[in-house]
This record gives sequence, structure tokens and C-alpha cells, in this order.
Amino acid sequence: MNDDESRRRFERVALQHLDAAYNLARWLTRNEQDAQDVVQEAYLRAMRYFGGFRGEHARPWLLTIVRHTCYAWLKENRSSELRLSDDDDAAAPEGIAPASDEPHEAALRNADRAQLNQAIAALPIDYREVLVLRELEDLSYKEIARIAEIPIGTVMSRLSRARSLLRLALQPGARPALRAVPNPARPGVKR
Amino acid sequence: MNAERPSAQQLNALVDGELDLVRQLDLESRLESDAGLRAEASALRTLSQSVRARADYHTAPAALRERLTGRAAGKAPNLRPRLGRWWTSWRPLATSFGFVALFGWAITATLLRPSHDDRLLQEAVGSHVRASLANRVIDVASSDRHAVKPWLSAKLDFAPPVKDLGADAVLIGGRVDYLDGHPVAALVYRRRAHVIDVFVWPTQERDAAIRLFSERGFTVAHGVKAGMNHWAVSDINRDELSALLARQMALPENEGK
Repeated sequence: MNDDESRRRFERVALQHLDAAYNLARWLTRNEQDAQDVVQEAYLRAMRYFGGFRGEHARPWLLTIVRHTCYAWLKENRSSELRLSDDDDAAAPEGIAPASDEPHEAALRNADRAQLNQAIAALPIDYREVLVLRELEDLSYKEIARIAEIPIGTVMSRLSRARSLLRLALQPGARPALRAVPNPARPGVKR
Repeated sequence: MNAERPSAQQLNALVDGELDLVRQLDLESRLESDAGLRAEASALRTLSQSVRARADYHTAPAALRERLTGRAAGKAPNLRPRLGRWWTSWRPLATSFGFVALFGWAITATLLRPSHDDRLLQEAVGSHVRASLANRVIDVASSDRHAVKPWLSAKLDFAPPVKDLGADAVLIGGRVDYLDGHPVAALVYRRRAHVIDVFVWPTQERDAAIRLFSERGFTVAHGVKAGMNHWAVSDINRDELSALLARQMALPENEGK
């Protein structure tokens, strides 16, 4: 197989989606430098698997690898952040969406950049990734399910909960960052 | 349908346009009669819009792009990722600079088009779906291209090529639609039970061969011919759509009857 040709093809495909890759890594790691490391690692992996990649859905394919790399990296370096939320827990915030009255909706409409970023960053990681893929990458439920390797039903429940939590966080008077998942005393971050 | 209160997930799916048609219509009719549900859906929509409009989309830093392109162009296999500390090892600026400038330019040039195409793809499919949902497939119903073409030309600032594609795809009419920021001609063909929309509008782009995409179960074909952008959307299979669009783009207009 022609290496040069394959590398050029990889560059064309993968670099096209570099922003998407970085955006996902940045939201998952919540840190610029770490996101760069992760994307670089992910691209090395992607290049290795590229021979096996056929077809036109390069962005989901690449994001799947980026996500994998993120999780591997977080597990290695910040495992405390990987406490996943329990999807089947009936007591989870399904029902806690605040009343949707006029002032509430105005608060959602007028939320500024900092508030929004902070509220999203405070979401548990598995809610956060679904929300980012949906709202910032504009991916369909099906594509998100494939990237996050979960059933579509789980995409739906996580997205719904992510939005409930965001609404809570953006509610008038709810300024302090929300505590989405009770964060256990965080063990020292080893680097 | 069922009288239970729809779940939060269903409302989210409605807002995201991810419900199947039957459930969507069902839920929409219930929103009409239930102000609480309506407010709920509207809050979700507002939240989604706020996130999309104002949450950060982190674009890749130039340094990262530079690393990756420099790397890919260099010796790919023996580069082990040294996670964590690579940024301390800057490469000689002189070599990378010229390369990066060139490459960056090439990338932006290629990068801008596909994302634009992506959006167009969505728009084209959306338009096809909306037209069939709203039962507004056709503004001018005629299988005579000499009737369809003047009707469209009168509504648009260009004269779209309207062609007979033969017996297996019958022209059933046309409508004016709106894509990519301007009015476009939508030629509507029927093949067996399938409706095929062919969107046509003028472009500066050079001729481009047909490319095929799949989007939400629809098949989409795109090509540029003689200064006309062609986007065909349908639920027929890829080969058929590709063949039809090829014929649409190839036939001189005065052929056929």
C-alpha cells in the first residue's frame, strides 16, 4: 500500500475535523494543554487505524477515537472525574427540571457566555459529552450513540438530564456553580 | 394516542427534531392544548439556542495544528507520543514556518468547503422533508418541462435547466425553495413511489463530478455542471439517484421531447 498516498488521505480527512476533535477533548478534559495532548495522541492512533477506515463519516469516526483517548487519559491522570452517573437510577434528576415560567425562560435566554460555559463544565462527564456532541457538534442522536457507544435511549436520557441540570444551574438565584454529582473528596491529581 | 404525560426525553427529542413523524405530530397536537408542556418545550428550545449561540466552541490552537501537520509530513511511525511535555521541545522555527504557512493555507482552502457542504446537505434534506411533510412538494404541477421552466424562471433570477429524465423518473413539477441563503429551483420527479427533489441554482464553482452522501436515511447526490449547482435528495438508493442526477446534468436541454 502506498504510504504517501495514505498519509495524504489521512491528513485531508483528519485535519478537516481537527476543530471538532479539539473541541470535544477540550470540553472533556476542561484544560487546554491536556486537550492538545489528547488530540495529538488520538491522531496518532487514528493514523494507525486509518487503513481500516472506509467511507464518508470521518467526523464521528474521529470523534470516537478522540473520546476513547480522552477517557484513557483521564483514567490515567484524573480518575476521580470518571465517576459516571448512573443512568438507571430512577432518582436521578429526571424530574427536577425547574418550573418553566417566564422569568425562568428569560434567564435561559439571557445567560451569558461565562455562565453557560461554567454550567456545562460542571456537568458530569457523561452528560457533558452528550450535550457537547449534540449542541456544539450538531450530531444526531444516532451518531452520538455510536460515538459514545451507548444505546440511543441512553443518549436521550443523558441529554434530557444534562439539560435539566443546566436549567437548574442557570435559574435566577442559582449563581454558585451547580454540584451536579456529589464530588467525593478529590484525591490528589497525579500527573 | 396514549394519554400519559410525555416524558422529558420525548420533549427533548421533539426539540431536537429526533422524533419519528407519527410521534412528532402527536406530541405537537398535545402541546397545542397544554400550556404547561408548551412552556416546557419552549424552555428547552431556548436553552439549546443559548448553548449553541454562546457556549465556547474551542477551535484547535495553531500550535496543535502545526504539530500535527509537521508530524504527519515527517516521519510518522517512529514518533511516540510523549504525553505531557511535548510543547517544551519546539522545532526549529525556520523550517516549520514556511511549511505551516503553506499547509495552513491549503487546509483552510479545503476545510471551508466541506463544512459548508455539510450544512448544505442538512439544508437540502431538511427542505425535502419539510416539503413532503407539509404536502407542499409542488408549486407548479406539470410534467411538461416547457411549462415548469418558464414558471420557475419567472420566480427566480436565473433559468434552471429542466429536463426529461426518461420513463423511470417522471417530472411532476417544480417549486421555489430556499437553500444556502438564496432562492433555488426545486425540480420534482417521481420514480415509482419515490419523490426526488433536484435543487438547482447558479454557482461560481467549477464543474464537479457527482458525490453521494447519506443523511438521516436519505440519499443525497451533489454535482456541479455548467455553472449550476445540483443537489438531489430522495429515499431511493444511491446508484439510482446517482444515475438520475448524472442524466440531469448530462442531457442537453433540448434533448428528449
